[in-house]
Amino acid sequence: MTFQRLKSHLPWITLLVLVAVVGAVDPTFLRPVNLLGLAGDIVPLFIMALGLTFAIYIGGIDLSAQSMANMITVMASLYLSSLGLWVAPLCIAVGFLLGTVSGYFTTRQFVPSFISTLAVGGVCFSMAQWLSGNRALNMDATQRDALFGWMIGRTGIIPNELFIAVGLLAICLFIERRTTLGRALKAVGAGELAAAASGLNVGRFKILAFAISGALAAVAGLLFSVKLSGGAPTIANGFLLPAIVAVLVGGTPLTGGVGGVLNTAIGTLIVAVIRSSMLYFGIEATQQQMVFGLVLIVAIALTIDRSKLRLVK
Amino acid sequence: MYELKGIDKKFGGVHALKHVDFHVKRGEIVGLVGENGAGKSTLMKVIYGAYQPDSGQILMDGKPVRFANPRQAMDQGIGMVFQEQSLIPNLSVMENIFLGNEKQFTRAGLFDWAKMAEAARHQLAKVRLDVDPRAPTSGLSFAQRQLVELAKVLTLEERIEGDLVILLDEPTSVLSEDEVKLLFKLVRELTNRASFIFVSHRMDEVMELSDRIYVMKDGAVVDVVARGQSTVEAIQHTMVGRSIDNEYYRETRQKPFDPKTRLVELDRVSLPGRIKDVSLTLHAGEVLCLVGTEGSGREAIMRTVFGMLSPLSGSVRLKGEPVQRPTPRHAVERGVGYVPRERKVEGIVAGMTIYENMTLSQMGRYATAGVLGTGAERRLARDWIKRMSIKAPSENADCGNLSGGNQQKVVLSKWRSGGSDIMLLDHPTRGLDIGAKQDVYTMVRDMSDDGVGIILAADTLEEAIGLSHTIIVLKDGAVQKTFDCTPGRKPTMYDLLHAML
Repeated sequence: MTFQRLKSHLPWITLLVLVAVVGAVDPTFLRPVNLLGLAGDIVPLFIMALGLTFAIYIGGIDLSAQSMANMITVMASLYLSSLGLWVAPLCIAVGFLLGTVSGYFTTRQFVPSFISTLAVGGVCFSMAQWLSGNRALNMDATQRDALFGWMIGRTGIIPNELFIAVGLLAICLFIERRTTLGRALKAVGAGELAAAASGLNVGRFKILAFAISGALAAVAGLLFSVKLSGGAPTIANGFLLPAIVAVLVGGTPLTGGVGGVLNTAIGTLIVAVIRSSMLYFGIEATQQQMVFGLVLIVAIALTIDRSKLRLVK
Repeated sequence: MYELKGIDKKFGGVHALKHVDFHVKRGEIVGLVGENGAGKSTLMKVIYGAYQPDSGQILMDGKPVRFANPRQAMDQGIGMVFQEQSLIPNLSVMENIFLGNEKQFTRAGLFDWAKMAEAARHQLAKVRLDVDPRAPTSGLSFAQRQLVELAKVLTLEERIEGDLVILLDEPTSVLSEDEVKLLFKLVRELTNRASFIFVSHRMDEVMELSDRIYVMKDGAVVDVVARGQSTVEAIQHTMVGRSIDNEYYRETRQKPFDPKTRLVELDRVSLPGRIKDVSLTLHAGEVLCLVGTEGSGREAIMRTVFGMLSPLSGSVRLKGEPVQRPTPRHAVERGVGYVPRERKVEGIVAGMTIYENMTLSQMGRYATAGVLGTGAERRLARDWIKRMSIKAPSENADCGNLSGGNQQKVVLSKWRSGGSDIMLLDHPTRGLDIGAKQDVYTMVRDMSDDGVGIILAADTLEEAIGLSHTIIVLKDGAVQKTFDCTPGRKPTMYDLLHAML
């Protein structure tokens, strides 16, 4: 088997090898409760990575995801008491809208997505600081449990977050594989010029990809704030790098067009294993981003399709 | 003094240079002519060191040499004046002239600008150009830039001991008549120091300037003509002349088109810098061929019809209906199909399967509420794979892995299966082998029989003449002449060349 053919199988092989290695060091790691707990803990990050997959699949990037989640934790904490359940659609709509803004500037004004989403992320961060008065906010515990408690409990030994994750993954997978939107996004990622020369409204589909990314970042923020029963403008810091790592080690390269949301699910599990293995190997939490930074660079170098790039600046 | 012996160069399966012998004597001006794709550019690139020949020898003063890159060729006195302007617009004139050779003006890493300006003035004087060497290049006219390019190459005079060979690639294409005269005068004066190789599409200029002319065709030198020994007509015949078999282009299948059904009407359409005042009508069953040199507006016209470009003035009608806000989406809905020249970039999406490619332009037909019916897509693909005899393992094969001819058939199937009856074919046979080309010609006739109107930009003049009902010759974005191409009354290549150049 050549390396090219092996390449598409690398993510899940990596995952199995990592699990086996950590399991060999500490057999308790392999206990189902531990594994399920591990998976449940990473769900907010997974949802963010799921959204990012759409932006990266078309060959773009969404750097606003983390700030978006931050802002949403603040909004959710602030408006839960007044809006009740309606706070969820509000948050998702805000995420969708701000994603649309990034998408608009990227496609219609030709601002590269890394800068347009960085700018929108800056707006989100500042908005979070302003809305929260720059301090941590708490949700009313009884109201949270009444409205969103179902999100965080356990059913048997399975964390409820996992059901949400699987549900969202199924929806995204359906969009990717079975809808005209998914097909169009694939065409844009794999050959944007050919898609345009086939009469596709490329700009609209690209904006939608960023909007979906924004909406899912908002869902991630919402879940995170429910989990922590509160919000703060920096509460989700440290999410962005692992989320991008999850997409890339999963097998969706920065150049887009291949991979997809299922790959991101595997990529996120790899991130989860790396993260917990760091605990086993005694790497402190403050040092984790160093590891993710290195993994990110290596993952990009391994997955990027150099034939699609003329110049890198 | 500079000589090529038995030079061969292949790119994959394409034999770009076939055993080319070529030499330039001291102080000689040598012309190089041939159709697009005859191998002129490849030969130039071998001469100035950008390509290395697969076999054969390069001799300078009788001694074999080998250039790994243009820089090494330059160090031996071979300089290239580029056709496309290669100056960097945001640098000053003098910085451009000495780009890559700044060392002589630096001390401890700092520039002595005054010294550089002085040296640049000296170079500019050689080409009689009176501009401030410190001025930004972007402020210069095209003609001035062309002269700066020449001045840049002439810095070799100081740097190199021996004789120079200077290549001029289409240097007159952006110049006015007076400027051309000035350039020619300069070139003649400079022959005391340098030999020149002059490539141009303008045959009269080549005849006027050159001492000898090399005529290339299909990668080989087919004739060498000394000054005054031939006529423009004779050279053009050698350039293009090859026997054309009527059957090759399926001419017997060319039937009259339906003059009553107008599919595309352009009325005085203009796009600044691309096309001006173009009017044309495409009828059902007609093959209308646009003929012209690179940049004459063929692609711009097709992209205007497809809605990728919006004309600044004039009107576009598709099937009688005026187009208000042109977009590709709108054109596709009206039945326009576009087969772009860059097949791998714009024609197919590599990484997607055959069936995904075929339905890309018509996903709406295979979807209910945005959900695709993949089964129907696959059936369509299997059907067209059979109809077009596309060689592929299955409809799930990645389009990027198909051969050029089969990729082109996928692109054609994409439009034809969606019922497109206005087809824009931009160099549909480019890079295809003979068999695949003939398949495309057959498909063109099939489409005409079905009442499809085709706007074609052909790969060669023979192809244009062989396939079309009507030929429109374009020059600098404007319609030059229209030819009727009814079988038996087809224009000759010579007729077309005359209108083109």
